Amino acid sequence: MKKLYLRIERCSGCKRCELACMEEHRDIDADKPMTRIFVESINERPVPVVCRHCKDALCVSACMAGCMQKDANSGIVSNQGYLQKCVGCWMCIMACPYGVISPSDNGAMADNASFAQALKCDLCPKKDTPACVSACPNEVIELRDVQE
Amino acid sequence: MRFVIIGNSAAGVNAAQELRNADKDSQITIVSSEKDMAYSRCLISRFLDGRLKPDGLYFKTRNFYHNYNLKPLLGIPALSLDRSAKEVILASGERLAYDKLLLAVGAGPIRPKVPGLELSGIFNFYSLDDTRRIIKYVKDKNVKEAVVVGAGFVGLEAAYALSKAGIKVTVVERCAQILPAQFDHISSEIIREDLESLGLEIILDESLTSVNGESAVESVTIGEDTDIACSLVIFASGVRPNTLLANEAKLNTAKGIVVDELLKTNDPDIFAAGDCIEIEDAATGKRQPSATWFNAVLQGKFAAWNMLGQNKRYSGAIGIQNSVQFHRLAAISFGISQITDEDLDYEVISHYNKEKKVYKKLVLKDNLLRGMIFTGDILRAGFYAALIREKIDVRAYKHKLLEPDFSYAYFRKENFGQTGSYAATPSCWQSPSWFAERSLCMGIK
Repeated sequence: MKKLYLRIERCSGCKRCELACMEEHRDIDADKPMTRIFVESINERPVPVVCRHCKDALCVSACMAGCMQKDANSGIVSNQGYLQKCVGCWMCIMACPYGVISPSDNGAMADNASFAQALKCDLCPKKDTPACVSACPNEVIELRDVQE
Repeated sequence: MRFVIIGNSAAGVNAAQELRNADKDSQITIVSSEKDMAYSRCLISRFLDGRLKPDGLYFKTRNFYHNYNLKPLLGIPALSLDRSAKEVILASGERLAYDKLLLAVGAGPIRPKVPGLELSGIFNFYSLDDTRRIIKYVKDKNVKEAVVVGAGFVGLEAAYALSKAGIKVTVVERCAQILPAQFDHISSEIIREDLESLGLEIILDESLTSVNGESAVESVTIGEDTDIACSLVIFASGVRPNTLLANEAKLNTAKGIVVDELLKTNDPDIFAAGDCIEIEDAATGKRQPSATWFNAVLQGKFAAWNMLGQNKRYSGAIGIQNSVQFHRLAAISFGISQITDEDLDYEVISHYNKEKKVYKKLVLKDNLLRGMIFTGDILRAGFYAALIREKIDVRAYKHKLLEPDFSYAYFRKENFGQTGSYAATPSCWQSPSWFAERSLCMGIK
């Protein structure tokens, strides 16, 4: 199973990972690009926070539409690309202990027939290396293959 | 082994899936009084307003039963249990033998007893079939005005959906605020404004007195003598765990079916999970019916593991956990969030930006977070919920709890049972002059 691994002492807080993440997911985010990796700070020290693509992921159990699923082969937890569609109920946002799932622009839901979407890390399925990993100049983020 | 599951929703279906994941050979039968394949009850309002087709409500794929080698007996109610013979007696007359049985029979809507309930045009809003009947009635009778009784989640979802469909909706609620079980006064007012911007009317502090009409609904009376004209009435005045089957089989029940930490009833071969059981709420310590999708899914999984003899304790459940977005505004409530002036042991930290309609409230006791309400900005809500659920001491962060930079980063050593994602940090990172010397610290020469 692929997971992101972080060496925070190397992080300078440049947020290039966030920009690359926004750029990579433009097609899902529509009007308002959003990042799925978050460079937070502790006492002025940058600390990236990422999705762990959990085993027995709480966001999967919380999802009432059935769209949040963990792929049995890759281990990637995502609400995109399945028959069931995200309806923007935000149960996953309430469930995720790391706080790395965000709502897409709220206005979209009220004004359209479509639904706002819960946005989260999908490890960039169209790329060999996730966009954040490639964008980081300091090799903070590493994609590792780990046993679950 | 023969596993029988009564119930085809969150708890039942997830239990079936877990049973099959661990046990490739046993026979697994799912019985349900509803004929539809597993659908999400929480999504019926999105079918009512036309944003989803029934297909969009199915939370498993059409091939689910086949792929997991499950035998679905749908549209066939279970009438009774014969515990000594270990059989379920179905409405079809069939007797279904089990080695382990799971009751995931859910809850059912309740109605206040008022005159006029025999009239046509009165509906519950609980099942996919209820929704189909409402859609047909609205179309056939060209409904222009509707009354929804109850301003809980179900009632407001129904009201929102009918409003979107162009119907004039009045909601009648006997409490002094909407969503009385989940949100406090300030947050409920923010949500109410958001809903009323759609044109629906909410009447608080009033009870339904009667439903009036010849053969079909023509009006309702609220309070002493206020009449509201309408041709459709939806009752959303609460649900109650379905305990009849368990009761008649002499299983222990109180507000819901009584189970132990393994989700086992007083019969060692019968388990129960989901909205039909009562749980001890870890936030309040009180026993109460469990009625959330998330809890039902987890209970279904735990029940399955324990039916397989894995001895996994289900505890620490939080009864109140809700996320909601009717119109434009998103809100989440978790744990104990409504504190009265008499609750002196509790501490409340809140932040309210009226202009931006952002309201956040945290409830603490003994340096632990006990509950939260986030309205208008729900980012990182799950992180706070985890601090509540996992009872993590926050005394060192009290001054920071609602600061914009307060995040999981502070707790990065807390893995919540998952594989860690941080390498050990070298001590130079803690140094006050870290930023100036960071290339050294980064190992760059």
